[in-house]
Amino acid sequence: MIDEGAVAATDPATATAVRGLRIRGLRKWYGDTRALDGLDLEARAGEILGVAGPNGAGKSTLIKVLAGETRADSGEIELDGRPWDTAMDRDRVAVVHQEPQLFPNLTVAENLMVGREGTRATVRHLNTQERSLMRDLAILEVADRKLDDVPLAIHQRVEIGRALARDARVFLFDEPNSALTQEESKDLFRRMHLLADAGNVVLLVSHRIAELAEHTDRVVLILDGVCTDVLEGEALTPDGIAAGLVSGQAARDPSEPVVARSEGEGTGLRLTGWTHTGGEFADIDLHVKVGQIVSIVGVEGSGARELVRSIAGFERTTGEVEVGSRTGMPAIATGTSLVSADRHTSLFPNLTIGDNMVSRLGREIATGGIALRRRRMLRIAHELRDQFRVKAASVRLPIRSLSGGNQQKVAIAAAIVKRPSILVLEEPTRGVDVGSKREIYRLMREYAGRGHALIIYCTEIPEVFETADLAYVVSEGRLSDPLMVMTYPDVEALARAVTRLERHSTMPNQAAVPPLGSATV
Amino acid sequence: MTQHSSPMPPVQPPGAASTGDRWSGRALAAGIRIGGLVIAILIVIVVFTALSKPNTFLTFTNAVGILRSMSTIAMVALGLTLVIVVGEIDLSFGYVYGLASILIGVAWIIWGWPIYLAILLAFAAAVVVGSINAFLVTVLKIPSFIVTLGTGQLVFGTTLLVSNTATLNPAYPPVGKIVPKDQVDWFFGLSNQHLPFDIPMQAIWMTAVAIIIGFILSRSLFGFRLKAIGGNPAAAELARLPTVKYKFAAFIICSLLAALAAMLDFAFIGSVQPNAGVGLTFPIFAAVIIGGASLAGGRGTAIGTLSGALLLAIIANGLALLSAGSYLSNFVSGAVTIAAVVLDRFTQSLRK
Repeated sequence: MIDEGAVAATDPATATAVRGLRIRGLRKWYGDTRALDGLDLEARAGEILGVAGPNGAGKSTLIKVLAGETRADSGEIELDGRPWDTAMDRDRVAVVHQEPQLFPNLTVAENLMVGREGTRATVRHLNTQERSLMRDLAILEVADRKLDDVPLAIHQRVEIGRALARDARVFLFDEPNSALTQEESKDLFRRMHLLADAGNVVLLVSHRIAELAEHTDRVVLILDGVCTDVLEGEALTPDGIAAGLVSGQAARDPSEPVVARSEGEGTGLRLTGWTHTGGEFADIDLHVKVGQIVSIVGVEGSGARELVRSIAGFERTTGEVEVGSRTGMPAIATGTSLVSADRHTSLFPNLTIGDNMVSRLGREIATGGIALRRRRMLRIAHELRDQFRVKAASVRLPIRSLSGGNQQKVAIAAAIVKRPSILVLEEPTRGVDVGSKREIYRLMREYAGRGHALIIYCTEIPEVFETADLAYVVSEGRLSDPLMVMTYPDVEALARAVTRLERHSTMPNQAAVPPLGSATV
Repeated sequence: MTQHSSPMPPVQPPGAASTGDRWSGRALAAGIRIGGLVIAILIVIVVFTALSKPNTFLTFTNAVGILRSMSTIAMVALGLTLVIVVGEIDLSFGYVYGLASILIGVAWIIWGWPIYLAILLAFAAAVVVGSINAFLVTVLKIPSFIVTLGTGQLVFGTTLLVSNTATLNPAYPPVGKIVPKDQVDWFFGLSNQHLPFDIPMQAIWMTAVAIIIGFILSRSLFGFRLKAIGGNPAAAELARLPTVKYKFAAFIICSLLAALAAMLDFAFIGSVQPNAGVGLTFPIFAAVIIGGASLAGGRGTAIGTLSGALLLAIIANGLALLSAGSYLSNFVSGAVTIAAVVLDRFTQSLRK
């Protein structure tokens, strides 16, 4: 047990149905965006409740509300049968993020105490209760080390320790192990179970379906700000979660022919022995033909994102690369364009919509590369606005005046106008409304159809289903065999197939057997 | 939005496209900024005209004097604007100014070099300092504040070393040194030509610099990209903009303009001393900031910086005519700088 005291203090006899967290009709809108739209959720004390849902489903907003970082517009939250104002009473909850919010310049012990020093001006020392707490969490031996000098896994234990020291009841684990080793993950899950066994409310938010199935008692599925399903018992399988997450979300566009697009014969991209210098992926061989849309799928920490960014030259790698007929880094520099997932790194906030659209151009918009051709810039911007159907009254308005979806269209337009032979997109529709999503998919297909290749990093299966010809799954830094997306009748089937590939290589027994780089299908 | 099958829509003719495209919020804010500066300048002129003795402040001779006195600040501030727009800081330009003038003096008067080579040496030194600044900032990725704080002192030390802390005057060279008369005339002529209406030569230089920097910032690809890089360095990297090259250019141009201002001041005053330029840091930064450039990068105009320098020059001149004492001049220029930023915050928030 992590905290014997806490367990002893709670009388098992009163631990009836009211014990736990109860959420009714939770609503939080940001302008027109309905992050939470009347969400109901029940987390029993003593269980681990999994929370799953695609990006933008409302998971982060739910966490923010429970952590007291933002107030819900309406709805009720009860903890152990009593109303709980999360914004006022933040001591009751602990959030363990992938990267905990601690003080890197303080020692582990100081981090544990900070905020509870009391009013004395003198330096406080650990009391016996805190010492035993740290011993339980196996962080006592590093008590005097700077937080910066200890691994991430210990940061998370410090976060748990901080919460236990202030008698927190609710523990939210938000994608906690994307940056942990397998050994560290195992330890974290052990602690999660201990917390649950001690009668706490434990929520695990994760994209890792296999882990949800293995470690939780129940999984709630969240979509568009409401809880759509609860899986438990027999239904709680990786396939069940995978299918539940995507069901009814993606229908193939009826106006799109279901046959594969005409693929050119030429090579769009060829990677041989492609290896990340930082160890995120190793020995990857990949061949993408002209006209293809290839999706690389993988959870955070799998190496998929890094692989996709490396194709545009933004990661340190070794190995051979061929783009069109050219090879090496110059081929990447001239033949690829990257649109990052985060619009904070793909747009220039101080430029207008139109200037953002032409920001990657050089001689095309300047005589001799020197004097700007303003009229021409404006013409290109207008063409792009119409072609991409950007909803802007004027391209001379600030980029911030656009909605997220339209900003993303501008970001993609800025990359496409350079006419790269390989367009690399990182989560192209993250935080984008449904209408813009359709537009972006249409533009992607159109661009591929004009003799280019697209490589997209996806975390959402419906996106793969709707856009890609081929899908590869990256897991533990290795690439699976390709999945022919067209051969899957529905998105659920594709989701199950992807989940199986993800699980295969995370199984400890199997992972040890095949050599690096070989597919495990 | 929903017509998936429709082909690409027809392109609008360029003429028709510009309807409804006239004034953006940004252009409006920039307009307010310049308009505000013009109003501030007019108010200051009215106030000083009222306060000063008749026929001292509002005279043609005094206006010409103000134009000359602002030119040094304006030229260097225009160079600094480029550095600020690209999102960096330069604190070394004042010392580059000092080094450049001392190098011209020492090489010409003490070493006996021809004036033309001495000037070339000064500009070469400016390029070296600018390059070192840019190298440390872009390649070694050290914050420019620290880099230029350090290089400024290195340059100042070099100036003291080279000059042997002596004041030099080509008209009265030290014993045993000879300065050719024709070179003295040519050099002094750089700043002392007799022009119609007594327009100071330095104002002509300033105007030329302002036109070039104005072109760079508002009409050139270089300036467009400087703004992009300053506005979002991470996006500039992903867009493969030539960040390193452009930062080198910005730092070098800033140093070069400091050297140019130094040369012209030397030619105007007729003598040079090693402390020259030490007091330039504040007024030049003040001119840039009053002119509306954002220290966060991505924003700044030549006309704004020029107006900032003009406002400061008028205030300094007016206070001097009132015999106000130098402390008041410090008070006012400090207050005006802060007020400009406060007003800027206010107009920015209006826009949202």
